[in-house]
Amino acid sequence: MNTPTAARCGYRFPSQRGIAGRTNRLGAIVLAVILGTGCSEKPAEAPAKAPAATFTVLATSDLKDTLPLEEMVLKATGVALQFKFGGTMESTEAVQTGQANADAAWFANAKYLLSDPQGQARVKLQEKIMLSPVVVGVSESQAKVLGWDKPEVASKVTWNVIAKAAQAGQLKYALSNPATSNQGFMSLMGVVASAAQKSEALTASDVDRAAISGFIKGYKLVGDNSTYLSEKFIEQQNTRVNAFINYESWLLSLNQSGKLKEKLTLIYPHEGVATADYPLMLLNEAKREAYQKVVAYLKGDAAQTWLAKTTLRRPINMEVAKAQTGLFPQGSMLVELPFSTDRALADGLIGAYLNEFRTPIASTFVLDVSGSMNQNGRRQQLVESLQYIAGDDASLTGRIARLTSREKVWMLPFSDQAYPAVHFQLPAPPRQSTGKGLADQSDSLAKQKVLTEVREFADGLRMTGGTALYDAVLQALTNMNAERQKYPDYQYSVVAFTDGEVNKGRNLAAFKEAYAALPEDVRAIPVFMVLFGEANESELKQLVGVTGGRVFDARKASLYSVFKDIRAFQ
Amino acid sequence: MKSVNKTIVTLLLLAVFGVAAYFSMYQTGRQPEQTGSALGGLAGKLTGAVQVQELDGFITVEVEQYFQDARVQKVLLDNGFKLNVKRIGSRDMAARVVAGQTPDFFYTSGVVAANQITDAAKRANITSAVYSPIYTPLVIASWTPIAQILSANAMAKEVGGGVWHVDLAKLTQTMLDKKRWKDLKSSQAYDVSKTVLVSTTDVRKSNSAAMYLALTSYAVNGAEIVTDKDSAQKAALKVAGLFKRQGYQENYVNGNFDDYISIGIGKTPMAFIYESQMVSYAAAKKGMGPGMVLMYPQPTLFNKVQFVATSERSKKLGELLANHAELQHLAVEFGFRIAESAYFVQSAKAANLTVEEHMTQVIDPPSFEIMAEMIDVIAREMGQ
Repeated sequence: MNTPTAARCGYRFPSQRGIAGRTNRLGAIVLAVILGTGCSEKPAEAPAKAPAATFTVLATSDLKDTLPLEEMVLKATGVALQFKFGGTMESTEAVQTGQANADAAWFANAKYLLSDPQGQARVKLQEKIMLSPVVVGVSESQAKVLGWDKPEVASKVTWNVIAKAAQAGQLKYALSNPATSNQGFMSLMGVVASAAQKSEALTASDVDRAAISGFIKGYKLVGDNSTYLSEKFIEQQNTRVNAFINYESWLLSLNQSGKLKEKLTLIYPHEGVATADYPLMLLNEAKREAYQKVVAYLKGDAAQTWLAKTTLRRPINMEVAKAQTGLFPQGSMLVELPFSTDRALADGLIGAYLNEFRTPIASTFVLDVSGSMNQNGRRQQLVESLQYIAGDDASLTGRIARLTSREKVWMLPFSDQAYPAVHFQLPAPPRQSTGKGLADQSDSLAKQKVLTEVREFADGLRMTGGTALYDAVLQALTNMNAERQKYPDYQYSVVAFTDGEVNKGRNLAAFKEAYAALPEDVRAIPVFMVLFGEANESELKQLVGVTGGRVFDARKASLYSVFKDIRAFQ
Repeated sequence: MKSVNKTIVTLLLLAVFGVAAYFSMYQTGRQPEQTGSALGGLAGKLTGAVQVQELDGFITVEVEQYFQDARVQKVLLDNGFKLNVKRIGSRDMAARVVAGQTPDFFYTSGVVAANQITDAAKRANITSAVYSPIYTPLVIASWTPIAQILSANAMAKEVGGGVWHVDLAKLTQTMLDKKRWKDLKSSQAYDVSKTVLVSTTDVRKSNSAAMYLALTSYAVNGAEIVTDKDSAQKAALKVAGLFKRQGYQENYVNGNFDDYISIGIGKTPMAFIYESQMVSYAAAKKGMGPGMVLMYPQPTLFNKVQFVATSERSKKLGELLANHAELQHLAVEFGFRIAESAYFVQSAKAANLTVEEHMTQVIDPPSFEIMAEMIDVIAREMGQ
């Protein structure tokens, strides 16, 4: 296989090994195409070509606010620190499989990685840098309604109480995806522990499914990184959502930002606090010296003070912590939730979340089948990506990309015009009792049948003609909105792929006009726009600026890895 | 008179080292540009400069800062040693004993790892020698409210000056009974539904957790050190829950202590640590933090930080580390106890920390084989 390329492409392709493992089915050409297109565009990012003094760090995306450290570390230590960011699960998988292609990794929480022998073996040294507990921020007015504005009440609010408030419709929260993020996952674990009334030695049989599904009822704003969620939260506070579950640091920052409609009251779940401890982990033995310099600097007074003041994370350095106590709420004692090392519980919970508990996804995939898609293997990429999500990738990130039980999908191809959408519906898992324990989430025959149909559909795509993207997106949104009226209990979105300038149908201005005429409700449906090839980036950004959503760039990464990212937002 | 004696001793030592250095270089050929420099060596002795030899070694994290200390490096250099040390996990050290590639020495966290290394050396036909320059007792770092609850429940008592004793047998039984903190008498200050547990690092990886296993197995074995495989199996099975129920455990030595210090009582009401960790913390901060207490399990055990020489020339280093007064005193600054116990106690006092000077309730850990047997059982139980 094309190892030099793979090595250069780096962490954006955590699934390469998975892909390579299945080339028998998919063909080696595709692999070469994905790898080739994935990395050829931006060789400057490749660590192998960077000067020897650089120290590359794969960091979880919630650490984006620490970016100024690059310069600070360079100035103080001479080490050219270079961040690259990824989601928690994606990064965990990259480190675990030895594909991180970074000198160090910096995660909010590495317990999932480090409770696995393979992951442990990758980590040569580790040091905790700072702390931030996962807390529930509730709009002050809603906190008052719940009585949580009173400290003596707030200090006794458990995850179970939070789950009940969510079930009763009193708590509508934003949270990053439990299947891909630490905050999301730890929140679920908090509910599991609290409902089981024990925090130690939890197993899959302790999972109270009713409590989880009650908690999920309040999960209204989904996303995969704190920056995106914060933006959306600001927009939707007190209309669609009234709470935000995230690290204390992000919620304190939001409270300080002045951008909120009203401040958030922070609830530290009683006996259920999960504190992120941000270990910086050395992966590359050859960079030990640089690592030690960076750690010494990061744990020193200057960096710790900066981190505390600017990012509002609690210092690990006790002197600085003492000096900066005023920055952080000083409430009652925070009793920590032990991290269960039971993989069957962790993986089972994620599987159950995706296939049983979460609000099922309903989305339209708007697919560019214009003639230009025949160039540079683009058609292949698109077809293969669709086949992957209907395939059986069991890797950490693959299981998030897969179509889940109960999901509704419309495939809407377009070229000169938008064509009729083809509908697929994944069956629900066999009916479960609402008792305890996690159910087996392996595919039923009925589910396998639908997955096969999706793969066959993808295989049948033929590319010809122009690019009527905006007409197609409009049609998808109209259709999703109509569905939403009929079946409100789904999570609706539109995912659109395009590789070229729009040259058929409406232009952007006409689209905006037509969008404005749609019923107000349509605004709850985000558009995730994937661009590759010659797509007009600035126009697509304008489009998602109007509709809500996000632009994903598949020019820098394989389409499948972008797919995985998008799935975490759905 | 005294100073004359000292000079003679120094010259004698220098001569010995000079010759030793010459031979070791000659034999290994590591520094070919200097071989055959017998005259140079002589000249060095006459001018008072010692010929320096470089030694490679793997060290445990506990002594990392000690070797990074400029004063330690200077004393070593004055005595003819320049060390290239690399910190790795103690349990990973034995794997580095490879014929032809073995470093000069290993400085391990304790007896278990040292035994593994000497075993491996025997198999590889490498002669080794073990030195115990420094040691430290295992203690429980805790908090005043916790100590008071344990005291109210007859598991601990203050023996004066902020030093606490905790009854190992009673505490172990309480933990095995899965008592929750709020089930204990007078537990208002910590009425949480967590069960009573001492937190440790990962026993599969770390020495201090193995020491905890040695202690708790003693407690469930009727206050007897486990000496046979049968009792080892039984005892380990009995105490496995004390490890398993902790959930995720840090797998580096400071992880547990870091959590105790920085996250505090909410996460770590009791942490099983080396006394040296607390002493060096207190020395750096001029005292323990508010509410922190040091509890000595009755009985406890000593952890001997062991130096394994795997080359002829590193034996001298082992002797030096164990006997050189300044090197010994410097180790105390990093929290370790040395043979000269008065010096240790006095320096703890200077750090505003009261330690127990004369420890009477101390047991030996089980043999290496028995420890390995018990760790295997725990590892298997934790994997399930």
